[in-house]
Amino acid sequence: MFPQFGATAETLSKASTMVFRIGTDAHLYDDPDDVSIAPLLDSKFDSEKCEALKRLLAQIAQGFDVSNFFPQVVKNVASQSLEVKKLVYLYLLHYAEKRPNEALLSINCFQKDLGDPNPLVRAWALRTMAGIRLHVIAPLVLVAVGKCARDPSVYVRKCAANALPKLHDLRQEEHTSAVEEIVGILLNDHSPGVVGAAAAAFASVCPYNLSLIGRNYRKLCEILPDVEEWGQIVLIGILLRYVIARHGLVKESIMLSLHCTESSHSEKDGSDVDFRLLKVPIDMSGTCDSEFVNMVSKCYIESPDEYLSRSSYTNRVSFELNGTHFTSKTNDDVKILLYCTSPLLWSNNSAVVLSAAGVHWVMAPKEDIKRIVKPLLFILRSSNASKYVVLCNIQVFAKAMPSLFAPYYEDLFICSSDSYQIKGLKLEILSSIATDSSISSIFKEFQDYIRDPDRRFAADTIAAIGLCAQRLPNMAYSCVDGLLALTKEDFLTKDFGSGDQEAGVLIQAIMSIKSIIKQDPPSHEKVIIQLVSSLDSIKVPAARAMIIWMVGEYSSLGEIIPRMLTTVLKYLAWCFTSEALETKLQILNTASKVLLCATGEDLWTFKKVFSYLVELAECDLNYDVRDRARLLKKLPSCNLGSQGPEEGTNGLNEKNVLHVVAKCIFGRQTREVKAESNNYRFYLPGSLSQIVLHAAPGYEPLPKPCSLPLDDLNVPEGTHAVEKGPDYSGTDDHGTSSGPLDEESASDYDSQHSITGSSGSGRSDDNEFTSEENDNADPLIQISDVGNASENQNGVSQSSPANLGELMSNRALESWLEEQPGSSNPGISEQSQVCKSSARISIRDVGRQVKPKSYSLLDPANGNGLKVDYSFSSEISSISPLLVCIEVFFKNCSSETIMEITLVDEESTRALDSADQAAAVNESSMKSYDNVPTLVPMEEIPSLEPGQTTRRLLQVRFHHHLLPLKLALFCNGKKLPIKLRPDIGYFVKPLPMDVEAFTDEESHLPGMFEYTRSCTFTDHIGELNKESGDGLLIKDKFLAICESLALKMLSNANLCLVSVDMPIAANLDDASGLRLRFSCEILSSLIPCLITITVQGKCCDPLNLFIKVNCEETVFGLNLMNRIVNFLVEPALF
Amino acid sequence: MLQCIFLLSDSGEVMLEKQLTGHRVDRSICDWFWDHAISQGDAFKSQPVIASPTHYLFQVVREGITFLACTQVEMPPLMGIEFLCRVADVLSDYLGGLNEDVIKDNFVIVYELLDEMIDNGFPLTTEPNILREMIAPPNIVSKVLSVVTGNSSNVSDTLPGATGSCVPWRAADPKYANNEVYVDLVEEMDAVINRDGVLVKCEIYGEVQVNSHLSGLPDLTLSFANPSILDDVRFHPCVRFRPWESHQILSFVPPDGEFKLMSYRVKKLKSTPIYVKPQLTSDAGKCRVNVLVGIRNDPGKTVDSITVQFQLPPCILSADLTSNHGTVNILSNKICSWSINRIPKDKAPSLSGTLVLESELDRLHVFPTFRVGFRIMGVALSGLQIDKLDLRTVPNRLYKGFRALTRAGEFEVRS
Repeated sequence: MFPQFGATAETLSKASTMVFRIGTDAHLYDDPDDVSIAPLLDSKFDSEKCEALKRLLAQIAQGFDVSNFFPQVVKNVASQSLEVKKLVYLYLLHYAEKRPNEALLSINCFQKDLGDPNPLVRAWALRTMAGIRLHVIAPLVLVAVGKCARDPSVYVRKCAANALPKLHDLRQEEHTSAVEEIVGILLNDHSPGVVGAAAAAFASVCPYNLSLIGRNYRKLCEILPDVEEWGQIVLIGILLRYVIARHGLVKESIMLSLHCTESSHSEKDGSDVDFRLLKVPIDMSGTCDSEFVNMVSKCYIESPDEYLSRSSYTNRVSFELNGTHFTSKTNDDVKILLYCTSPLLWSNNSAVVLSAAGVHWVMAPKEDIKRIVKPLLFILRSSNASKYVVLCNIQVFAKAMPSLFAPYYEDLFICSSDSYQIKGLKLEILSSIATDSSISSIFKEFQDYIRDPDRRFAADTIAAIGLCAQRLPNMAYSCVDGLLALTKEDFLTKDFGSGDQEAGVLIQAIMSIKSIIKQDPPSHEKVIIQLVSSLDSIKVPAARAMIIWMVGEYSSLGEIIPRMLTTVLKYLAWCFTSEALETKLQILNTASKVLLCATGEDLWTFKKVFSYLVELAECDLNYDVRDRARLLKKLPSCNLGSQGPEEGTNGLNEKNVLHVVAKCIFGRQTREVKAESNNYRFYLPGSLSQIVLHAAPGYEPLPKPCSLPLDDLNVPEGTHAVEKGPDYSGTDDHGTSSGPLDEESASDYDSQHSITGSSGSGRSDDNEFTSEENDNADPLIQISDVGNASENQNGVSQSSPANLGELMSNRALESWLEEQPGSSNPGISEQSQVCKSSARISIRDVGRQVKPKSYSLLDPANGNGLKVDYSFSSEISSISPLLVCIEVFFKNCSSETIMEITLVDEESTRALDSADQAAAVNESSMKSYDNVPTLVPMEEIPSLEPGQTTRRLLQVRFHHHLLPLKLALFCNGKKLPIKLRPDIGYFVKPLPMDVEAFTDEESHLPGMFEYTRSCTFTDHIGELNKESGDGLLIKDKFLAICESLALKMLSNANLCLVSVDMPIAANLDDASGLRLRFSCEILSSLIPCLITITVQGKCCDPLNLFIKVNCEETVFGLNLMNRIVNFLVEPALF
Repeated sequence: MLQCIFLLSDSGEVMLEKQLTGHRVDRSICDWFWDHAISQGDAFKSQPVIASPTHYLFQVVREGITFLACTQVEMPPLMGIEFLCRVADVLSDYLGGLNEDVIKDNFVIVYELLDEMIDNGFPLTTEPNILREMIAPPNIVSKVLSVVTGNSSNVSDTLPGATGSCVPWRAADPKYANNEVYVDLVEEMDAVINRDGVLVKCEIYGEVQVNSHLSGLPDLTLSFANPSILDDVRFHPCVRFRPWESHQILSFVPPDGEFKLMSYRVKKLKSTPIYVKPQLTSDAGKCRVNVLVGIRNDPGKTVDSITVQFQLPPCILSADLTSNHGTVNILSNKICSWSINRIPKDKAPSLSGTLVLESELDRLHVFPTFRVGFRIMGVALSGLQIDKLDLRTVPNRLYKGFRALTRAGEFEVRS
């Protein structure tokens, strides 16, 4: 019973099994209400609460309504015990919709739990809160989901993704775009577990928003093998849809193999619109059933109902694929999809295998489809239930492309443990993949199956033999022989009751023979004769009726049959009265058919037999037979009447009409019933609809090829940018000037969100594609964003501080709650901007606000009115890695024009006393590359008008990290000595990396390469105070801290912001645990240097910062750390 | 996505219902289901996807328990079925088997498990290792404790570390004094021998089962001496695809404890280790049965647990069967079971007897299929050989063990 007792439990008597039930919840299930539950719920002991809740759960399990305990249960949601919590949640989810008002009472607790340090508690709270599904709390849930979408715990983020469909289910239009934004964030998560859940959310929330996939397509493909199996199933489908919508079908794939030949054909004919499918020569070595494939592929793209209903009245105006609607197998997106899905064919989860196979079926070039065959056949070895579903899909594949499965016919042989449905499917597949080479072994198997005790299965086997014979005309003779022999078996010739299954076998055998004969009646004349002669022994009415039908149908075939007709008819007339209903009707039909076709001497006999039969039938007990007799009595007279010349013209006309009618009814122009294939319905492989054979609600065919044009990818973002435009340009003068910098952006997110000016909106479109290509190289977009943001900073250095305030207010919760569809868009996109990088938040806009500190180089008082300021630039020198870039601003504060300003290296001036030997300076300085501090000579400023400011970029090689560099400034011919102080923060350049790389690198730099210091930080206080009037939310406090901290760092050193980890603090005012990571590498040596800042303390107080630097170059690292501490403690400038 | 899961006992009683989404499913669907199951019999019970008037149902039957999941919208049916199979696996692992009593006794655990395994109709955590950390399986200690103290919680207070790691199948950092890893090749032989005694199909379905107790985060590589014989493979999620693609090497970070590393198939084997030769001759309303069993190709190890089973055709009224070795039983559902165990050295086991046919039948026209069971310890009949198992960082005390076992899978002999 239990693993520990595996051996003993079985041998114990039933009485002792009761012992094992002790300690389980058995008594609770058996008698859930044998004690009063209400007082237990109010108990102060968790154990008693638990028991009460278990009793309630037991009643739920048994289907009783215990919602009357709801108010008492809700109270317990605040319990600290996780078990109580769990049980309460289970109860709550079951009844919340029923008791919405009471359910609202629990919301506060959920909100509190959402801030719990234990991720499990946060996740549960989120799951339950979202699961309650009350419209009133939807906005709160949305906020919670948004918050959890950037939770540090993967599990919580996963639950956030799962919560999105719950929100979506409430159908609140105003939240749609916000929900979609969060889906986008989560799809972009770096954890495969989250991506899987996000894919599921995407599929149910916004399956048509394929542009969301387009942004991350490559990354999603690459992450696919690591995604959880359930996520893989959904994600594969999404990627397939995206590729088709984006690029169309693959020219070489089976879906298009036919369309190509078709289109070339119709081009040749010009006017001929009809495809004439069957006549199109298909050069695929006969491997595909072309018509079938055509239909399948059309059904995949338009739903079958649509396709079939339309084709019923016109087959012509079908969906045509022209040259622009397909792509080739060399398309990169197609290639990567196939590459990344092919290992999934080895998955342990059969659903994953099937959906991967589906992608290959639709997209792979024809010659590569065969790789899906073995995996598909292998999953037949898993559970019986999945076997059935897989076979249903194989059936379609095999029918469309029999050559795929033809070599593997042995795998489809039937075992006795297969269920009846599975056997039927296997037979059908076998009969459609049989080839001339395999048919003999297949028939051997079939012969065994006919002897199976399950007679229905035997009958199905016989039907399959008939199908095989129709497919392979070579086999027709041996099939018919075998079937005939079967009909003569004595066990089949007994008199069965109508319900007997043996009868079914016999009927099926005759039916198969009939269908084979129909293929080519003249060559099977002998078979008909044999069947007719066995009429005496065959007793099953349906079988007899069919043989009799054949007599009538083929009455004029060959030589022998017409001669034996009289005997047969006499025999039929003789046994007419003892026949069953259907046989009687068929005898009447056959007699009239024979009569109609008869000529010459037999006519008289036939007529006699016929009238005898009609007479008998007219007295039959069954009214159907009597009616039939009366109808038929009229008909044959025409055949005879033509001999009577005495008939009047009126009568003649009437007879002619009758004759025509008779011919119509009994004439042998039975048309080929070929339309059966039209009734097939095909749905996408692996779909539920394909199993139940009707479109299940929510079934979507593949998107129309190329329905997602290139521009679609960025339309929504473009509009956002435009909408944002005025918003910014009103407050920010420098907004427009920052536009051009976007060219540097490597990711499309960045390009969209860093656009501030109206000039940027057009640009974003241009960038879209280059950036889409680029971001594939970078798996973690949110990180590269920040990296870019900091790269951008040199140009945006003058961005105004007002910007930050603008962002903050937009980000506030109010924008969620008081939704106005029109105006809310910028707000939403703003929001998404903040939490774009779900797990670890990233602060995208910091880059623009970075304002490198400016130092004074020359005071106007000392420099005769010339003021020189400089600031370190994040630009990287293109000349040498040893050079640091400095921006120098010259301003004329005097009232006279200052002429010929230039800056030179002190030492070089000593050697060359003149000012105008710039070139020489350059040379000498480059020669003394090794040890002399060098200044790449700056372009001379010829003249500076009063009040004018000019900017120059200097490239300097500092001699030492800390000691100032002596320079000489020449202006108006005078030489002024100045000192340039180095800033170690700019001796590095940003090193973009993701968090994994960061932690990995960090782990390589332990012990002596790691230095820590702590300091206090106060910048944020001013920031927070500034905003406090706006009723700023707690989460924005964190953000404000992060932002001010990041801003400070980036403004003082040339770093790359790797990640910002946000604590989910129990105390909402506590910023402890906030962690920022920066990375950089030393300019001269390219040694990486990692900086981690951990925050401790209350939001509104000065924060304690712990700065940790990991760097191989010890001295540099220490100096850098000291420098960081120095600038962090400096009070803020604004 | 799935809307509701029901667990039905073998008498059709709804033992448990778990609503998954806001679109609640009424229990009456189970009545509809059970009515049809009764009226249509086995055909209905073996139908995994059913379209009821209101819902689509997925059913998986395990040891008499029906797992029924409902949905109203399009979703991959295999996802539903595979999920139900996982639920059944996890439950039977937790409860040490599946039956009506054990589910009712532990309904709280079943609820808690279901709640962790599926969220809003989409599978959430199905990895058994993580589930075990979240919800403790019932065991004797906790039960005694709960009786004595009246208080026990099987719900873990913390989130298993593995949920966030890049190897979600592995519990975070287990520590073992003895590091052990056992690799078992467990193979099943599927064979079909037709009426003429010809071996129509003979193949091996094998699994590489690993039981690993290794500290830390071990990185293992397993290679085979002859990977080319493998016809097709399926892997546990821990196996990295690319090394297999390029060199047919299994490279993986194993879950802790027992798991199925891979399954494989080897096709077109030439012979079976034992032969079973049934002979049925019928005449005058009687049928003589004679079944011979013996070793065909000595696999080098003892073949044991040999059984031969066959279903008597419906037209048989009575049977009188005896054997010269082992025991013959005719079960209530007309299944005749002959258990031989080992083949004695001195004689060839044979089963013989007569069957009496229905009165109107003279001769037997349908023939039973004999299902054969056997087990061979120590041999992998496919011939697959493990070359070596390496650890990237070898712990100081490591024990590696290899075993092999072959048993009969779908081994059928037609008569």
